[in-house]
Amino acid sequence: MNNKRTTQLNKKLKTFPPDVKDEFTKAKPHLEEYLTQQQLYEWVDSGIKIASQSNNAWDISVNMFRVSPIIIGSLKPDDFMKWLEAGTNLAIKHPMLGTAFFSSSPSLVQGMSSTNITDWASLGAQLYKDTWKSGTLSNRFFESSADLLEQLSFEELTRFVSFLDIVAKHSYDLSSECLTLALRLFPLVGEDKGRFISLSLNLVETGWRQLKAFYDASLKALPRVDRLQRKRFLDLSERLHLEGIINMPNTILEISQALQLIEKRDHCKLLDIAEPLLDLHPSSFSEFIKSSPIVLAKVSFDKLDAWCEEGKTLLKTNPDGGMAFFKIESSRSEKFLEEISSAVEFQTISNVIELYCRALAGEEIDLADSRDLVEKNIGWVAADSPTTEGSTVYLPETVDRYSKKSENFLWYKVVSTHQVGRMEFGSFRFRFDKPSTRFENTRNSLELKSTEGTNSNISATTDIQKFFNFFEDRQLSSDIFSVIEDGRVDAKVKDDYKGISKGYVSIQLDALKVRPNTQDLNAREALLELLVQISLGQKKSISVPKNYKEEALAIVKIARHAMDSRSSVEDTSEATVRIYAILIEVSNETVDEDDWDPLDFEEDESEGDNFSDPEGLKETLDSMGNSAGDDPADTQEDKYNSPQEVDYRGEFKPELTQLLEKLREQGQYKDGGNDTDSITQEMMDQFAKNSVELSQELNDGASGITSDEIVENMLKEVGLKKPESLEGGQGPLVHVDETGGELESDEPETFVYDEWDFRAGDYKPRWCIVRQKYMAEGEDSYYGSIVQSYGNLILQVRRQFELLVPETMRKERRLQDGEDIDIDDVIETMIDIKSGSSPNEKMYWRRNKVHRDVAVVFLLDTSASTAEAIDDSKSNSDQWNAPEDPVEYMLWLRSRRGEGTKRTYKRIIDLEKEALILLINAIEAIGDTYGIYGFSGYGRENVEFYTIKDVDELFSDRVKRRIDRIAPLHATRMGPAIRHSTSKLESIDARTKLLFMISDGRPQDRGYSREGVEKEYAVHDTRMALDEAKNKGINTFCLTVDRNGHDYLKTMMSDMGYEVLDDIYTLPHRLLYLYRKLTT
Amino acid sequence: MATKTSNSTKTLYQSYVIEEYHLKKEPYYVPVGDEIQLFEAAYSQRIPVIFKGPTGVGKTRFVEYMSWKLGVNLTKVKKEEKPGEERQQDNLPLVTIACHEDLTASDLVGRYLLEGDRTVWIDGPLTRAVKAGGICYLDEVVEARKDTTVLIHPLTDHRRMLPVEKKGELIEAADGFLLVLSYNPGYQSALKDLKHSTRQRFVSIEFNPPPREIEAQIVSHEANIDIDMAMRLAQLGEKIRNLKEHGLGEGASTRLLIYAGKLMAAGIKPRRACQVAVNWSVTDDHSLQNSIEEVTASIFE
Repeated sequence: MNNKRTTQLNKKLKTFPPDVKDEFTKAKPHLEEYLTQQQLYEWVDSGIKIASQSNNAWDISVNMFRVSPIIIGSLKPDDFMKWLEAGTNLAIKHPMLGTAFFSSSPSLVQGMSSTNITDWASLGAQLYKDTWKSGTLSNRFFESSADLLEQLSFEELTRFVSFLDIVAKHSYDLSSECLTLALRLFPLVGEDKGRFISLSLNLVETGWRQLKAFYDASLKALPRVDRLQRKRFLDLSERLHLEGIINMPNTILEISQALQLIEKRDHCKLLDIAEPLLDLHPSSFSEFIKSSPIVLAKVSFDKLDAWCEEGKTLLKTNPDGGMAFFKIESSRSEKFLEEISSAVEFQTISNVIELYCRALAGEEIDLADSRDLVEKNIGWVAADSPTTEGSTVYLPETVDRYSKKSENFLWYKVVSTHQVGRMEFGSFRFRFDKPSTRFENTRNSLELKSTEGTNSNISATTDIQKFFNFFEDRQLSSDIFSVIEDGRVDAKVKDDYKGISKGYVSIQLDALKVRPNTQDLNAREALLELLVQISLGQKKSISVPKNYKEEALAIVKIARHAMDSRSSVEDTSEATVRIYAILIEVSNETVDEDDWDPLDFEEDESEGDNFSDPEGLKETLDSMGNSAGDDPADTQEDKYNSPQEVDYRGEFKPELTQLLEKLREQGQYKDGGNDTDSITQEMMDQFAKNSVELSQELNDGASGITSDEIVENMLKEVGLKKPESLEGGQGPLVHVDETGGELESDEPETFVYDEWDFRAGDYKPRWCIVRQKYMAEGEDSYYGSIVQSYGNLILQVRRQFELLVPETMRKERRLQDGEDIDIDDVIETMIDIKSGSSPNEKMYWRRNKVHRDVAVVFLLDTSASTAEAIDDSKSNSDQWNAPEDPVEYMLWLRSRRGEGTKRTYKRIIDLEKEALILLINAIEAIGDTYGIYGFSGYGRENVEFYTIKDVDELFSDRVKRRIDRIAPLHATRMGPAIRHSTSKLESIDARTKLLFMISDGRPQDRGYSREGVEKEYAVHDTRMALDEAKNKGINTFCLTVDRNGHDYLKTMMSDMGYEVLDDIYTLPHRLLYLYRKLTT
Repeated sequence: MATKTSNSTKTLYQSYVIEEYHLKKEPYYVPVGDEIQLFEAAYSQRIPVIFKGPTGVGKTRFVEYMSWKLGVNLTKVKKEEKPGEERQQDNLPLVTIACHEDLTASDLVGRYLLEGDRTVWIDGPLTRAVKAGGICYLDEVVEARKDTTVLIHPLTDHRRMLPVEKKGELIEAADGFLLVLSYNPGYQSALKDLKHSTRQRFVSIEFNPPPREIEAQIVSHEANIDIDMAMRLAQLGEKIRNLKEHGLGEGASTRLLIYAGKLMAAGIKPRRACQVAVNWSVTDDHSLQNSIEEVTASIFE
């Protein structure tokens, strides 16, 4: 190096802080290896040039000098110089860019061509727009370049930067956020990043505001989508956007949520089906995908296609209907789904099967979802297999084992027949002392022996427990008992119910198909498996260990004898004793492949009743009691495992069931003080310790519950201990979004109704919840005061009404036929005959048997608008004008209601109440059946239905007090209220049924009446509800005080009766008049 | 002229004078409990009887059977006592009146009718039974109008008199007369219950569907089908009766089971026969029908 030049440079370098010099000195030796003298000078020059930019710029130089040795290692000297130049230029432009450039270079430049380096630098430069914010952006770009280039080709990077540039025009913050998000997104996008970038670009042009949301959404959505389908997913997202879907990011998020629920490999198929929808109706696309997991839970993909096609056809003719279809918010959709699905759901069949079970068992049997029993935590664990605990049959939620609905239904039927069979044929009614009918009794001798022995200290709560106590290996005895008892029940069912036996057998055969091969099992397990297969009606030969062929034959013989329709549960127990005696001698060892022999037992079939105990039974039984002395360690036995459960039989727990039953009895008689037989806590604990039915699960430890908890739960179950939180009340009002799905009535006194969607031309299933409650009670003096003030009128009305009654009792005379002849008429006739004129043949009389048989429901609109004052002086009316805006209106009303106490004016509701009181007086006089209800509510999940007087309730002071508390409440959702009233009237037997609605305006509620289409929606729904009532033979009448009522009432009531009251003060009179007219 | 033709033509239908109607053949009846002894005892003491029980369990059949049985006994007794004097009437007459809601006292007692230019009194069935001394069986008595009780009361206590108000007569009941009522406590509403003053003039015999074996025997005999089929029909009946508290107003009666059996005997497939004869007859409720359908399908192939 030229010394003069060197010193010159050194001098310059010294003007900067010492770090610069230090780094330079450190880097110089490395660079000297590669660079020419000239280049070296340029290098130093650049450093100096950068550092002299500004006061703090020396820092960049330091940086540059520091990274140079690393860069030079991976670049050719010429390229290095270009790099240096690009960096220098950037640093000159803005120090920050320089810093970013130099510090991110080491990780980047490797393998980059020289042009790329300059391009890269210029990309950064492109982002810098002489502002601080753009600087930051550019800075971030440099920092993340390395990561970006891992994902993108350089060309893609260029496009991405131009995208960022465009975004930056709108907002720098957004742009840099996009950059950050994109870093996390690119790995998710898959192969075609370019597609994603161009999608982003398009999005910027058409709706840059959604960009961030879109990025966020994609970030969450993409991992849920199958990797191969992500590009397609993005394409579809873009199309959705172009089709003008509002809030596209949210939509794709929802779609991805649905996709997440579906197997990844099926995504392609699903999108194939869904894609055509985009052409038809973009928003149906997303609805379809959102619904698809629900649909797919019921049907296969081919059927999904069919379902989609059905929706498409509907969509073409009726877009709203189509949308509702895809949302599964229309009856048609549900029905179609039901039609094409082969799965049978518990819900849909529970009614039929429940009655079926009750018919078979002759007991109050309930049906429930298996999960309910598991949730109770009283010892049952399998949530998807059928079982029973003595009073309830538990069935799995859905069955989709076969391709045909009828077969799936048959499965349900067979399963419940088996479960009921356990009850009907006494599986749980085992009595220890009852002799068996087909075996010699050995139980008593066992009992004798055990009392001599050591086992006597175990106390038994139930008979079945007592029985199991005799066996050392409880698990084995319990398994044998279960299999034989199930086999016995099967035999009994097949014999008693010939009609189902065919289906029964086919399901048994299906169960046989999935049984394990005996050769895969150890000896004892194999023999037990043999037992299971025999109980399922195995006809083929089964392999048994050679050494135990004798035993196997004996087992088959005993089992066949016990599993007979003539056997009782006591026979099962005897068979258990015998088989146990055989099996306990069989060591549970592995058997060599060659040591198996097929056992044919077809020929034994005809053996019939000639059953005799196998020889040597006595001895084996004798040895059972004191087998404790035997040394079990002499063979290398494996641990014994229970046989695999037979799916249609489910869990069988006679011990638990008997105990529960006993507890229940105890619960019922616990007031009687019958203590001698009662079950103590110790006994329960003992039970929990001994019973294998419990310990099985506890050993599994899956649920992490202790036996104590189970005992506790059992006590709760039978009602000996009350569950802690019983009172929940009505709970807080839950807001359910209008766009949400179906509702379920989960509380008592709530009812769910469909709602009519006139746009879709179909019902929205289970759309509204009506909450029925009694109106609170106030003072009964109110009633009295009204009666007093209307005193005269009431008397008058009463008389009028009473006149209606005698009419019905009057004798009808001059009839052609009747109870008896009227002697006066006869004489007249005789005279006619004598005098030669034609006689009147009508001489009979009959009592008029037209009873007055009227049931009426008054439905009172207690919506907020009834709080409006009735203007005494018409000129004053403007003052009370309600604000137009609904929100203000509600506020206004609330304030009005607050004034309640100092109210001097009369409100609509007051007049409604007065009219009501008059009416009650009148109706009581003629003895019609009547009910009075108020309705209000807000939102479809909170339709309040207040009982003031129930139809089957007698008029009392309580009713009077309730009337006092009638007050304006919320909105007016008429449809559900009408439907609920209709159902009330339906249950009453009366010749004339009348639904009388008193309202003050059009139906309105959240999502029911907003301006535009929903206003019509409400009117149409109400009309539909009224039509339904009419079809059920109920007359409807609507009386309104809304002077503008004619316009909508015409549509709403059409051919049904309605009246608009011009002068509200005529309401009481008019009501009475109308009532009389309508019911006669 | 008229007599000539009537001689040469056959009577197309069989008609009886009301009090002369009696059964010629022994009706088929299988006792379930001690109802025969009870009724015999009651009759011998002339204590009126109420039959309680659901429809189709054999109340009417029982009264027919008893009238036949008692009639036979009566004849026997008379023969023994006075061998020379044969009774005109071999059997006990049975007057059955199905009550309906328009049945009035005059329907039972009698009324004036016009004949030419005069009125003629015609005895009602009850009056005729009282005069003839037979069993008067008022079926579904609660359906009748309340004014009928006016007649029932004096007939059922020690008086044994029938007042005929319009004629101003009191008719003393003939020796053999006994009033038997039937009613079904199940389906009538509380409004249509018998008054205690009426009820307590009777002894009550309760009828319930017979146990499976006996019912099968009855069905087999009546419908002329084999006992195995009859057993299954009885099983079906039993199962359906289990549903009585679950929306079924009344269980399947033995009569319906016999109908089903008869249809089967005539070649209808068992499931179909049960559907039309039993299922659709016991209920209109669709879900209930479905359940019974399933029960039927389980019992019959």
